[in-house]
Amino acid sequence: MAELEIRNLHVRTEDREILRGVDLTVRTGELHALLGPNGSGKSTLANTIMGHPGYEVTEGQILFDGEELRELAPHERARLGLFLAFQYPVAVPGVSVANFLRMAINAQRDEPIKVKEFGAQLDHAVRLLDVDRSFTSRHLNDGFSGGEKKRAEILQMAMLKPQIAVLDETDSGLDIDALRTVAEGVAKLHAEQGIGALIITHYQRILDYVKPQFVHILIDGRIVMRGGPELVERLEREGYDPIREEIGANA
Amino acid sequence: MPDATPELRKAGSAREATLNHALDGIGTPRMPLADSRGLARQAYDHLELPRWRRSGFWTTSLQDLDLERLEIRTHGPDASPPAFLRGQRSAGVLVQRDASVVHIELAAELAERGVILCSLEDAAREHSELFERYYLRRLRIDRHKLEAASAAFWTGGAFLYVPPGLRVPDPFQVIYEISQGGSAQYAHTLAIAGAGSDLRLREYGLAGDTDGDSVHAGQFELYLEDGARCRLAQVVDWGPGSVHDVSTSSVEVGRDAWCHWLPALLGGALVHHHDEIAIAGAGGDMAFRGLFFTERSEHLDVFAVDLHETGPSGGDVHWRGAASGESRASFEGLIKINQGAQQSHTYLQFHSMLLSASAELDAIPSVLVGADDVSASHGGTVGELDEDLIFYMQTRGLTRPQAVRVIVEGFFEPLIVQLDDEPLEQLIRERIGAKLAGAAEEIERYALAR
Repeated sequence: MAELEIRNLHVRTEDREILRGVDLTVRTGELHALLGPNGSGKSTLANTIMGHPGYEVTEGQILFDGEELRELAPHERARLGLFLAFQYPVAVPGVSVANFLRMAINAQRDEPIKVKEFGAQLDHAVRLLDVDRSFTSRHLNDGFSGGEKKRAEILQMAMLKPQIAVLDETDSGLDIDALRTVAEGVAKLHAEQGIGALIITHYQRILDYVKPQFVHILIDGRIVMRGGPELVERLEREGYDPIREEIGANA
Repeated sequence: MPDATPELRKAGSAREATLNHALDGIGTPRMPLADSRGLARQAYDHLELPRWRRSGFWTTSLQDLDLERLEIRTHGPDASPPAFLRGQRSAGVLVQRDASVVHIELAAELAERGVILCSLEDAAREHSELFERYYLRRLRIDRHKLEAASAAFWTGGAFLYVPPGLRVPDPFQVIYEISQGGSAQYAHTLAIAGAGSDLRLREYGLAGDTDGDSVHAGQFELYLEDGARCRLAQVVDWGPGSVHDVSTSSVEVGRDAWCHWLPALLGGALVHHHDEIAIAGAGGDMAFRGLFFTERSEHLDVFAVDLHETGPSGGDVHWRGAASGESRASFEGLIKINQGAQQSHTYLQFHSMLLSASAELDAIPSVLVGADDVSASHGGTVGELDEDLIFYMQTRGLTRPQAVRVIVEGFFEPLIVQLDDEPLEQLIRERIGAKLAGAAEEIERYALAR
């Protein structure tokens, strides 16, 4: 059981403040969705959780099982059990998917994983996620289509078995088949490994395939509304404008 | 149609003249060894130590070297091959330590089938006809003092002859070692691949951590007769000591012959290599790969020449280099298509990666085309470490140095995998890995400063 707790998080980049007091808690086994329009700070939150050097935390805390993450390097956060599926995964030229996975697994262990054990885990993961085995001998993200990149992200998540995963707009740029594969992959990992996930999205489509228990709406760097799945339906019907008006009226 | 940018015409005739001078009259007329040594000795006596300028802003100078103080060190035979070859299959091994060939082994069945692997000194005496037919056919002996010194004073040396039609899957391995500082090693390798033969040849230039100035002045020549095929690799790592390596390598590709050539330049205080591959027969084809990694205050100066003397011919030149520390590296690549070499098609690309703010890395591609039914072009990229890629890998649990290593290895990997030779690939990967580990701190500083 792990818990990612974000308290009153303020984050800025070189030119402006993007997050202005975010509170959010995600535990193992929980599925959260974070929705928000473009520019609301969603990717900033994802990158800040993992320690991207381009974002400066000016106030607040990010705690993992009570431990402050702010001073930890990204790889140390990964080793604690956090994972980030990227919106735009970058190519790792010259390194096959399988070799990269083995490196990443070994980076989190004292003893390198046995070849046989790794092979078995990889076989299991590709079957679970319905990925072609030959996919793993291609260079990671090098010349991959949008769908293949996202599939590679989910495959990494399956192999690294994080406690809590942040999926940053994993659904963007996907056709409906790829979207379904990715969403079902997340649902399967949730069911099989009991991971907790924070699914960050601009659209609601992915939520047709993976059902979050908790839904948060981020606008202008603040979480302005929280609820259950019914909030997704409302957004689908009405869009963000009525919510903006509502919070405007309350403010 | 030439799709090349004839840069030289733009750059003006002075530059073209310089390049032509570098290539001028490749080859030394056939003569007995004593005569060529005598001529080289005369050249040595009147030539100055070399100083090369490239494009007016790059200088490689050996003028501070005191050649007279260096020793020619001789050694007795050594029964055991170098440790790093243990567990590898070899067709034959020849080791020269400083001035002496100390170890030769050749598989018995290959000797029976006419393969010759011996010191070049022995070849000059015992296989004089072969020796004289090929020796210095494409190499000059008088362009600068160190070239003259090599031709005048070489000792030991390596001679390889593979008779026509013979296929040898395991590699021949020629190793030049410098055992201690203060040494002069004048080296010469002559290799001949008979018509239709197929072989692998690796040449190594190696030293540990030596103390004081040393010189390796080497000449290498490989002749591929009609239809011969060769995979040639040269691995140079002179260690952190003060080794000055000024060498010329020449590969001649005959009719319908093919060569895959990869120099891996992995260390040396000052390395100046003139590496030239010439397609001399119609239908000749080649892949000329190269990689280098410079560190600390190393100075590397590569002149790689892709020469087409006749067509139809093919060429594919692809080099990659990384520089760390305060090192300086210059890669000059020249495509030259001679008059009448119609239907020659070749491409030159060079990719670089800068790992330190104090390092310098320059690429100077040139194309000289003397025929109209050809294609010759060049391209390349200049890169630094991609911070987004490092962050991506860190989120997978890799430390920053691990991520940098993956990136740099991945940068070289497209060339390394093409070697199609597992032990050699491992050796090169390990050496690059070790260099990165040594440069980790300073790479980190560079990243933080950006």
